[in-house]
Amino acid sequence: MTEPLLKIENVVVDFRTVTGTVNAVRGVSYEVNRGETLAVVGESGSGKSVTARAIMSMLAENARVGKDTRIWFDGQDLSTCSERQMQKIRGDRISMIFQEPLTSLNPIYKVGDQVAEIIQIHRPMSKKQAMAEVLRLFEEVRLPDPETRVSQYPHEMSGGQRQRVMIAMALANKPDLLIADEPTTALDVTVQAEILSLLKDLQRSHNMAVILITHDLTVVEKTSDNVVVMRYGEVVERGATAEVFANPRHAYTGHLLASEPKGRPDPLREDAEPLMVAEDMRVAFRIAYGGFLNRKYTDLVAVNDISTTVRRGETLGIVGESGSGKTTMGMAIIRLLEAQGGKITFDGARIDGLTRAAMRPLRPRIQVVFQDPFSSLNPRMIVQQIIEEGLIVNGIGASAAERKELVGQALDDVQMPRDAMQRFPHEFSGGQRQRLAIARALALNPDFILLDEPTSALDLSIQAQIIDLLRDLRAKHDLSYMFISHDLKVVKALCHNVIVMQNGNVVERGATSEVLEAPRTAYTQKLVKAAFNVLA
Amino acid sequence: MTDISLNAEAVKQGPSLGYWQLVRRRFLRNRYGVVGLIGCLFIMLTAVFSGFIAPYAPETKDRSAVYSPPQAIRIMAPEGGLSRPYVLGFREEMHPVTFEITFVPDETARQNLALFVRGDAWTFLGMTFDRHLIGTTDGGFVHFLGTDSLGRDVFSRMIQGTRITLLMGVLVMAASCAVGITIGVTSGYVGGRFDMIVQRVVEFVKSFPDLPLYLALVAILPRRAEPMMIFVMFAAILVLLRWADLSRELRGKVIALRSMDYVRAAVAVGASDRRIIGRHIVPNTSSHIIVWATYQLPEVILLESFLSFLGVGVQAPMVSWGTMLNQVRDFQSFAAAPWLMAPVGMIVISVLAFNAFGDGLRDAMDPYSND
Repeated sequence: MTEPLLKIENVVVDFRTVTGTVNAVRGVSYEVNRGETLAVVGESGSGKSVTARAIMSMLAENARVGKDTRIWFDGQDLSTCSERQMQKIRGDRISMIFQEPLTSLNPIYKVGDQVAEIIQIHRPMSKKQAMAEVLRLFEEVRLPDPETRVSQYPHEMSGGQRQRVMIAMALANKPDLLIADEPTTALDVTVQAEILSLLKDLQRSHNMAVILITHDLTVVEKTSDNVVVMRYGEVVERGATAEVFANPRHAYTGHLLASEPKGRPDPLREDAEPLMVAEDMRVAFRIAYGGFLNRKYTDLVAVNDISTTVRRGETLGIVGESGSGKTTMGMAIIRLLEAQGGKITFDGARIDGLTRAAMRPLRPRIQVVFQDPFSSLNPRMIVQQIIEEGLIVNGIGASAAERKELVGQALDDVQMPRDAMQRFPHEFSGGQRQRLAIARALALNPDFILLDEPTSALDLSIQAQIIDLLRDLRAKHDLSYMFISHDLKVVKALCHNVIVMQNGNVVERGATSEVLEAPRTAYTQKLVKAAFNVLA
Repeated sequence: MTDISLNAEAVKQGPSLGYWQLVRRRFLRNRYGVVGLIGCLFIMLTAVFSGFIAPYAPETKDRSAVYSPPQAIRIMAPEGGLSRPYVLGFREEMHPVTFEITFVPDETARQNLALFVRGDAWTFLGMTFDRHLIGTTDGGFVHFLGTDSLGRDVFSRMIQGTRITLLMGVLVMAASCAVGITIGVTSGYVGGRFDMIVQRVVEFVKSFPDLPLYLALVAILPRRAEPMMIFVMFAAILVLLRWADLSRELRGKVIALRSMDYVRAAVAVGASDRRIIGRHIVPNTSSHIIVWATYQLPEVILLESFLSFLGVGVQAPMVSWGTMLNQVRDFQSFAAAPWLMAPVGMIVISVLAFNAFGDGLRDAMDPYSND
């Protein structure tokens, strides 16, 4: 039996914080062989990234690694290495790809120079040779038109292209081990699939060991040989991927596996009257360009004459890649953004052109849940104040006690305990915060809720819970949703009808089942393929 | 089924820590900042209870001791062994050749020290007291930091001067905060043309050479103006030139906060502008404002002492650290009585303390650090 390439034993990482010591990782062990992919799965906060950073000795300053932690890499114990020795190993023998390609590339250097730098640090060679090497790498990671790419800056590239540059950087010195920390989470679905197949091909051709950190089980199933499931800093299950998927032994793994959004929206009443009607919505942003003396303006049309109808009890999905104008349209319909044209009718009355004061009586009936639950709750207010705000502003509830009861009911609705009222938002996890944001909308007893990617900042297993919750609430309170998403799986589980948007235009619309099962346009076909078959 | 709650994650138990509680904990871990805080408290207490701590009133003159050097507190009795703390008076001796007058401790003029002795009357919150922290048993004079040209006790004046100097600092800080917050927040929140005009005004104020303006104050104010009047005018001019920084910084913060989702959520529930500013925007800039204010205080203290030293700022009979330094303007008095420089020590201590406190606060209030 050969020695595994990387073997970590009993990794313990504690963080000292103001509120006490946090045991982020409590005795994790796993190993990876050459040419093998190990998937490390878990929700955010399970310690999977911290373990990977411990392997690279790239932990934050307040982290303490346990005494018995051993990290064997190719026969060498990395936990005893000095910082100088680690510098030789990092980027040369072990490299890492991070989640957010925009922030991991330096914006003021050309991407070619950034990759060349990594090569030159570890392998002395002339700049010219290094640039030739970069070109070869860019071809290998299938960047279109590599000769022009080398002299581009990161902001000139798309997210997927930047992630390809990151991969080229990671592969620059032919590492033995590649750690990919959620490499596709920040990318659009269609791009995710391409990046994953690229990683898989590269692993095969380089015979690398890969540690793939992810919360996406579909990715795990399609790409990994072995899997380690982590929760609360501990390994709860490990084994060959196929085996674990076929026969999960731990309840938590079973729960993760069952957390794919599923189910169908409950049928819509035939005679449901239209609630929110938007006709010929047009939103354009004025962009200034040219010099100081010959300033010119151009209109960037984000939403191009789109009409939609949401009927009472209906959920309308709006799907598209980032930049397709779906959020802009949603915000314009609920009048949080000024539209340049179009007619909006809510419950039979025109609401376009109303002033902010005139909109105020309608506000409780039209609510919104934002994408990022970390920025949508005021950090200086306790939960009760956050949910109560709408009640106070609109004069709902006669007394403080009555309002508190309404807040309590809203918390019950989103299945949060009532003691949450006295806490601050930072004490809750992402999924819990999103429940609180939904409770804020629900407390006003609205008819219509705009859901702006409410699940995309959350882990998969939490996404499914939120989707179930939204479906239950729709039935219970007779709500209508406009659901903006780029994730077709979620849309399939929740929406009756769907609109597919691209560059501000509608490319396809219809009943969800029809659009997703028999997409007519190439763009929709690409989206569907990316969502339901991860590897292209 | 195991004990794992599968549908909802466990909600945190135990006491809930608010933002300010977290800030306090984080601050208390920073030793340098805590030392700064202690220093600030010490200075502020000195200012509040200056009448009690100072042995004499600022205008009390000891005619027998002009330019008398500091008296050291002694605890070793001349006959040997420990004794109660005492000071020795001075005997003037003239150098036979240079005729230079020197002060030599006089073994016979011994005065015992005591705590809580009676002395000059001082008022606090409208009440009059005559007890002082320290003094001599028989009511004679003691000058820990010597005396000035009129025989006034430098130590007492320095303690009393804390009051005016700090009052100036707090006044200028509070007023420029009020102006800066109002203008900065409105400018950032309203935006558009109003913002454009306000920002040009801010730039104009910031481009103004401040020193000539301070000096021009002397020319503007009538020669016989009340010292209190000059004090207020002086503070007003400092405020006029200081609010601009804060308002510009806040404007940037407000523009960033205005597009936060929680502000948009407040718009979506129908909240008014007033409520959004008061409940969502200003509380989230409070840490910035507090840190700015802590850094302002030492700057104003330095500026006050500098300008009063030039004779432009606070005017006699008001006592501030700057006006005390004004007495050492010429080199002769500096060479003859270096102890008149004592307020410099207080200025250095207070500036260091407020800056250390400000640094500690800034680190503690960083919302992104969780260490």
